[in-house]
Amino acid sequence: MILRKLQYKAISCLGPGLLSVASRIGKRPGRGSAQGAAHPFGPPLESGRKLREIMSLHYLSGRYADGAVPVAWVTSGFPVEPLRALGFHAVYPENHAAVCSVKRLVPELSAAVERLGYSRELCGYARADLGCAVTGTTPVGRLPRPDLLCCCTNICQTVLYWFRALADRFRVPLAVVDAPFVYGEAKAGHLEYFADQLRGLAETAGGIAGRATDRGALLETVRLSREGSLLWAECLAAGRAVPSPWTGFDAFFHMAPIVALRGTKECNGYYRMLRDELNDRISRGVGGIGNERFRLLWDNLPVWHRLRPLSAVLAENGFNIVCSTYAAAWAEAGAAIDPADPEGSMARAYLNVLLNRDLPYRLSFMKRLCAESGSTGAILHSDRSCKPYSIGQVDLQRRLVSEAGVRTLLLEADHADPRSWSEEQAGHRLAAFMESFE
Amino acid sequence: MRSVVIARQKKLGRKTVIVLPVLYPRELLTAMGVHAVELWGPPGPPRSPAAGRLQGYVCAVARNALAFLASGGGRDADAAIFPHTCDSIQGLATLAPDFGGWEKPAYRYLHPKGEDRPAARKFVRSELERLAGELARLTGRPLELPRLSEAISLHAEIDRLRRELLSRRPFLPLSDAALYRLLRRGEYLWPGDHLEELACAARGIRDDRVRHGVPLMVSGYVPEPMSVFDCLEAAGAFVAADDYAAVGRRIALSPPPAEGDPLDRLSGMHFRMPPCPTRTSDTGARMEYLLSLFRRSGAAGVVLHVPKFCEPENFDVPAVFRTFADAGAPVLVLESELEAELSAQSATRLEAFVESLKFKGPSR
Repeated sequence: MILRKLQYKAISCLGPGLLSVASRIGKRPGRGSAQGAAHPFGPPLESGRKLREIMSLHYLSGRYADGAVPVAWVTSGFPVEPLRALGFHAVYPENHAAVCSVKRLVPELSAAVERLGYSRELCGYARADLGCAVTGTTPVGRLPRPDLLCCCTNICQTVLYWFRALADRFRVPLAVVDAPFVYGEAKAGHLEYFADQLRGLAETAGGIAGRATDRGALLETVRLSREGSLLWAECLAAGRAVPSPWTGFDAFFHMAPIVALRGTKECNGYYRMLRDELNDRISRGVGGIGNERFRLLWDNLPVWHRLRPLSAVLAENGFNIVCSTYAAAWAEAGAAIDPADPEGSMARAYLNVLLNRDLPYRLSFMKRLCAESGSTGAILHSDRSCKPYSIGQVDLQRRLVSEAGVRTLLLEADHADPRSWSEEQAGHRLAAFMESFE
Repeated sequence: MRSVVIARQKKLGRKTVIVLPVLYPRELLTAMGVHAVELWGPPGPPRSPAAGRLQGYVCAVARNALAFLASGGGRDADAAIFPHTCDSIQGLATLAPDFGGWEKPAYRYLHPKGEDRPAARKFVRSELERLAGELARLTGRPLELPRLSEAISLHAEIDRLRRELLSRRPFLPLSDAALYRLLRRGEYLWPGDHLEELACAARGIRDDRVRHGVPLMVSGYVPEPMSVFDCLEAAGAFVAADDYAAVGRRIALSPPPAEGDPLDRLSGMHFRMPPCPTRTSDTGARMEYLLSLFRRSGAAGVVLHVPKFCEPENFDVPAVFRTFADAGAPVLVLESELEAELSAQSATRLEAFVESLKFKGPSR
């Protein structure tokens, strides 16, 4: 126990310096770096190196977390602030599953759980993560064993089935925060229900951490969460500049801290750095792609396993994804968190996340993003394994065209599993979509 | 048939509400004189091109329901209730009312996910009160608690009879197809009328065993296509235990308390239902329940009849495999998409499964 604590502390203290040196020594030519005039991207973001450092440190420290500090595995939309205030190390299986997808590990991991009876039609993240739990395979070395699983239904109901399966496997408690779906505006009774559950969470988590919540620590975490969301919003707002200083594909990677480190100083420090770099690029007219001719919105999760080829084909033709509902979702709701009323404001913020809201809201959100960013087109990723995000997209597509004059493409894929991807079909559809702009 | 029943209820001055799967407070609707007609698809090809507004990887229950509503299939109804059963029906609950397909009043019935806890009980009660308020606006009359008390008793009696018919299956001189037709008439009959039919069937239960063949447990979402029962019968099997979300999982495990505030009694009903993945019940508790049901019924095998793309049902499949493998009980997974008829491939698989059980000893 003492050794684990020492290891965990040592990694947390020395890790940043060591990783910084390692990343400088091992610096690889990044996207757009001196690779010839034909390269369609702008110069790479310097912040990318720091991003790799803090995410590597997050996973590295995680290896030594169990036994040293309480460990919680949490869903991306879970109100993590009470856990951080209690000293939990938070692991985000969704973020980890995205890493697995980028590393093209999902077919192997999914096959392992398909053999147990899991359907290939289930969420690709869930299959990947359960596959890791079954096989022990992970691209991050090792995930700490959880003491508590924390699931909030504000992003989907799927996460509850997924986390139940994890709870069954690890034999640890599952804390559920149920988020009633919001039609129009959140109802007072629903906010109260959510806040009631937060109070219950504090008890459950406090029991595992062996201490009661320090109110001061909670208020500070809540403040950091709000600040982090606002900083992330500033980064995203940089995409409104013409040319946009980065691409939506960059944003998909750079959103990792707001998902996995929300409510920490590291997260906010990182976004200050990123924001400053983006603003600097704006002032110098440096774009995310070399020749930005058309600006697009992306809807739904990224196709993690095809980010590179997708971004390249778009950039080569002068198309830049300058905003996305997915990345923006992390900026919108979090800004509602208020240290003056932690439980009440967390209830408001976490109930009102994009996926927990009705289609008229989603449509208005997409229209707003298009209008603010000057996007004249939208790619709606019809995600086979994320039904809550994909249901309604056919209508959203039609309405974006008819009500906002936005050209649209519905592109079918799976956010995590490349086996559902048809290269040829997607290529033809993208080509036809891009031709329509000429 | 349903339109005849709806017309009759309208003549009696009752409002008709279409209800999507799975769980909703039947007692509340009955107490307020609202006639519930459930919409499980319907099976078969979608009734209109509106199904294409939902991608092909969304379950047929949601796609067919959208097509049915958008084609005017619910024109005789006065409103629709969308329980929050799963992500797909939750999505449908905004898609059809907000973007077209259902223009009449739409009520959402949200029920809590997770375990029984004080916050969840309080939430159920507040949702019941909210729904009662919406129904009061529809019917023009408020909820009367004595009527709710009577409705709770009426439905408790319906549940008792349904439980009896299912648990005493070997002694009931009805084919599976006939029994399920009877049970599923509860999806659209006025509860009082349904009660009479159930009571009549229950009077036919005999002391001697009348059902012979291979006893099976069936678990799944909805027994569609109904020809699955003809196929089982032809293969020499019968349903000895039921765990369909549409049937057995909606029969409360114990009757409500006889006394107390009716709204509290009704709220409590939510937590007395058999474990069901659509209510995100604990998997361990569900497996324990299924094993107990299986053993009590003397079933020789399990048919897991799951709709394609149904996340709630599909997430539990590995646990069912594991649980019944440990118990030495064979499991057949039959995937369906609300077809009008059982496919020849599915029929062959069922026949082969039953055949294999005929030559196998009893389960542990």
